[in-house]
Amino acid sequence: MSAENQQPSSSEIPEIPATQTGPNLAQKPSVLVLGMAGSGKTTFVQRLTAYLHARKTPPYVINLDPAVTKVPYPVNVDIRDTVKYKEVMKEFGMGPNGAIMTCLNLMCTRFDKVIELINKRSDDFSVCLLDTPGQIEAFTWSASGSIITDSLASSHPTVNLCLQVVMYIVDSARATNPTTFMSNMLYACSILYRTKLPFIVVFNKADIVKPTFALKWMQDFERFDEALEDNRSSYMNDLSRSLSLVLDEFYCGLKTVCVSSATGEGFDDVMTAIAESVEAYKTEYVPMYEKVLAEKKELDEKERKKREEEAMKGKAVHDLNKRDAGNEDEDGMLESELNAKVDRIHLGGVDEENDEDAEIERAT
Amino acid sequence: MKYAQLVMGPAGSGKSTYCSVMHNHCLSTGRTLRMVNLDPACEVFNYPAVVDVRDLISVNDVQEDEELILGPNGALVFCMEYLVQNLDWLHDELDEGEDDYFVIDCPGQIELYSHLPVMRQIVDALKSWDFNVCSVFLIDTNFVLEAEKFISGALTALSAMVAIETPAINVLTKMDLLSERNKQLVDEFLETDTRSIVDQDETVWNAKHRRLTRTIAQVLEDYSIVKFVPLNCEDEESIDQLLLTIDTTIQYGEDLEVKDHYPEELDPEQLDHV
Repeated sequence: MSAENQQPSSSEIPEIPATQTGPNLAQKPSVLVLGMAGSGKTTFVQRLTAYLHARKTPPYVINLDPAVTKVPYPVNVDIRDTVKYKEVMKEFGMGPNGAIMTCLNLMCTRFDKVIELINKRSDDFSVCLLDTPGQIEAFTWSASGSIITDSLASSHPTVNLCLQVVMYIVDSARATNPTTFMSNMLYACSILYRTKLPFIVVFNKADIVKPTFALKWMQDFERFDEALEDNRSSYMNDLSRSLSLVLDEFYCGLKTVCVSSATGEGFDDVMTAIAESVEAYKTEYVPMYEKVLAEKKELDEKERKKREEEAMKGKAVHDLNKRDAGNEDEDGMLESELNAKVDRIHLGGVDEENDEDAEIERAT
Repeated sequence: MKYAQLVMGPAGSGKSTYCSVMHNHCLSTGRTLRMVNLDPACEVFNYPAVVDVRDLISVNDVQEDEELILGPNGALVFCMEYLVQNLDWLHDELDEGEDDYFVIDCPGQIELYSHLPVMRQIVDALKSWDFNVCSVFLIDTNFVLEAEKFISGALTALSAMVAIETPAINVLTKMDLLSERNKQLVDEFLETDTRSIVDQDETVWNAKHRRLTRTIAQVLEDYSIVKFVPLNCEDEESIDQLLLTIDTTIQYGEDLEVKDHYPEELDPEQLDHV
């Protein structure tokens, strides 16, 4: 990844001082499209792409589903170009699930190249869309999914792209069952907590079933509870009522849109929702990001000072020793002492401990 | 009364490892666990299965079939629905005797629990065959090392739990792969009450979602059935502790009769071998 501080060339982008730590606010937003298998993600992306093309604000589209047979939209980056799903299955002797994960893992190692590509083309598109694998866990509960999401979300100021919105597609036809609905919404909530980004729930397939039932359930707790009661066993009574309360909170301030990817209805609302989320991102999430960066810097400073102090102490002792001992190899001894100090600072002395772990402040 | 553990969790959370670890652990203590594989898309596993759904139908078979043009998801759904239509086959294969204890390795895809009634139907069938069923939901600890991710994990477990309506134990797997620092962090999460975990971090996002987080934390507090149990596969004590928790939930052991062997009841042939 081109990590050096280059000044962006386009005249629209404001001058970025070398010391800026936060994300580049002129960045193009990217939208991550998630949802259960069969909810209609790919069709949604297809429809949205067509919509944007018709308005002369074409999107940059990335397909992250390695197992899809046909991609019905003009795609800019396709994981299937980099990794061949069927070949992975053969070569590694894996079943379908393992192959999907492996494809994502392999893609993930090349993702910096993808970001470079997008960076170069950033003037040409208005928004970037990411279509994800059919099985939602391949993305939400996998290391590669996390890495891809994080690398897009925590973008470097020189990258003109930033993950800013998550759209969760729901199959309205299947969601008419209140238990299924609740389970689905809880899962959506869990994704909200993982990504911590502006979240939009899209009720898809409005041409098959009007999602108004869902909106009514979301607005009226009592109604939902009633619908649920008919469905559940006594064991779950209290728990599901409490969970309905949780969901009630979740719905406050949650953006929802009802669409049909088949007919195209509701897509104006989609664009409005995305625009609002991008605004929210700039006003709410950017400060958070900057704060995290500032804290990181503070911690780094503290560590550095600590090491300096320890080194100074080591040196003072060393000087005393030197006076007593005489003619040892000074540099060598100082070196080994410093190393010993550094090892001890590195808590636990476990090799695999990475930088991320070192940042977490431990309450003593 | 028969007993069954349903082992669930996202792909890669360690279900098959859990199954083989449990099996081996129980062998060494003289218990017999009967292992069942209900994942038609599974590739390989290293525990001896008394029932394997792939004998009935597998995702590979379905995907190779010329007439049904199904991708991996469609094939999996097809297999599960086929299984549900052939529950008699399952019942015959299980061939359960009184007090038998089964561990059932289930497919990972959350869609099967929340979107489709298949898992629920299987659970209902088991209950009708006089089984006490408990779900064991596995999550890879590496994904829950932050307060919000921890909540996310809990919500995923809840999402599955609500759908199939059985008592549940949630397990944090791969504890043996954590660094010391992270182990401490996880221990803290598990011991502190959930509300204070979430109050720790003051960020804009957290402030915005504070009420939601508090409500979730309240539920997790009130319903200790959503507590997490750590599992270190290398540590016999850890495995034992988990098994005890599950056994208690499933009420295993309460109906067990004391087995004693009087010489008159022993087979004369066996006596010769003594």
